[in-house]
Amino acid sequence: MNLLFLIRVEFQKIRRSKIVLILAIAAIIMWIPAMINGDVNFKMDDIGISPENNFLIQGFLGMAWFMFPASMIVSTVLLHQTERGNRGILKMLSLPIRGTSLCIAKFIVLLALSILQMVMTVIMYYISALVVSKTQNYDFILPFSFVIKETALMLISGIPMLTVFWLLSILIETPIFSIGIGLASIVPSVLMINTKVWFAYPMAYPFYVITNEYAKLTTNMSDTTLDLIPFLPTAIGISVICLLISCLGFGRSERK
Amino acid sequence: MIGLEFKKIKHSGLFPTFVIGGIFAALIPILNMAVRSEIFINLEMPPVQILLKENWQMMAMLNVLLITVGACLLYNIEYADNAIQKMNTLPIKEFQLYFSKATLITMLCVIVLLIEAAAIGFCTQHWFQLSQEMVLDIVKHFLYSLLLLLPVISIALLIASACKNMWISLGIGVICVFTASILPAKQFVFSLFPFALPFQMYAGTAEDILRNYMIAAVCEIAVFGIAEALFLKIRRSLK
Repeated sequence: MNLLFLIRVEFQKIRRSKIVLILAIAAIIMWIPAMINGDVNFKMDDIGISPENNFLIQGFLGMAWFMFPASMIVSTVLLHQTERGNRGILKMLSLPIRGTSLCIAKFIVLLALSILQMVMTVIMYYISALVVSKTQNYDFILPFSFVIKETALMLISGIPMLTVFWLLSILIETPIFSIGIGLASIVPSVLMINTKVWFAYPMAYPFYVITNEYAKLTTNMSDTTLDLIPFLPTAIGISVICLLISCLGFGRSERK
Repeated sequence: MIGLEFKKIKHSGLFPTFVIGGIFAALIPILNMAVRSEIFINLEMPPVQILLKENWQMMAMLNVLLITVGACLLYNIEYADNAIQKMNTLPIKEFQLYFSKATLITMLCVIVLLIEAAAIGFCTQHWFQLSQEMVLDIVKHFLYSLLLLLPVISIALLIASACKNMWISLGIGVICVFTASILPAKQFVFSLFPFALPFQMYAGTAEDILRNYMIAAVCEIAVFGIAEALFLKIRRSLK
């Protein structure tokens, strides 16, 4: 069975899981306070950011800091728990499929869920920007290319984080540990982005990148250029190692 | 009943998770002070208030997350392999299950808060001068926090008992925690959102506001308890 077929099977498995609904609610809730407090965007004189940019970036900051990582943890729970009922995973592992391809197929589904959440975030952004433009009589709508660029930055910088969460959920059998460690690792990213070793902490990548974009859009905050040198190699290294270990460890405890 | 709940969580990892979570939360103020104590030492505020103002948001968030995860897991072990059906055939009311789970999580929270209180006490002692008054302040703050955590426990368990699949209850819980973190904390109405309550601090808050929050917390506990009892009745009659 080729990988594409496996991916399709994995998508079928989560069809009735209501995960899309949860991701959608997350995206909607994120923009509601922004819609209600539309007028705050005009009080940013001391930072020197235009209201429309502020509106976008404040929403994205919330997303990158907590909602994006947390919903990805929920997704990893989903990908594992659907197989746990009635011992589905044992049946999968008894098929003539390599465990590695199964692991990769599941990870691609996780990646697809993250893309889906980003798409919903963009859609919700445009809806809420339209609403705020109406209520505040000011054009909040930013060009599509710019919004897509910011979203893509958040998404791509989130990939190493996804591999870490994926590895956690595979290596740690007890679900509460993997969920607990995952969620607990999100909270200190606020502290981590202010340290020099932020590039060693994948959970802080999306938040760091978006914060960096925020600083770029302002006139009064010191511009920090994103140093690609320690960042990119570490990020790629972490992702590759995590994926490798998770592929090797996939299904190990069930085979025992 | 509660003894039974303790036996159930033996191999689930719930207890170590709460202890490790508590230690992790306790490390936040300690590390924060160790790394940048010079910013905080010279502030014109009572030491306990400085420490809490800087660290409590993150610690409270960890507490709320711990409760959410714990509640999801407590019901997950019932729903996995249909254990809950066996519980339902026993001569026990289903609400009793909810109540003993709530008691269990409350006890675990007491442990977490004790660890955190010890950390705040240590920071006060190490970087400032610990006086008797401050100890009293810390004790009051953590008792207050325990009360404000109870509504979260009751609603998180309500959500978890309603959803058969853990990812749905966890997803809802996570969304609620996120909502709490973006709600404007200054407005009283918004801060009454159960997941936002534990972010409140005892130190530096006026007495009548404290009283309002305490009344609100008690009301919320009652409301969620009644909601759970009703929900279980309705679900049972629909089965």
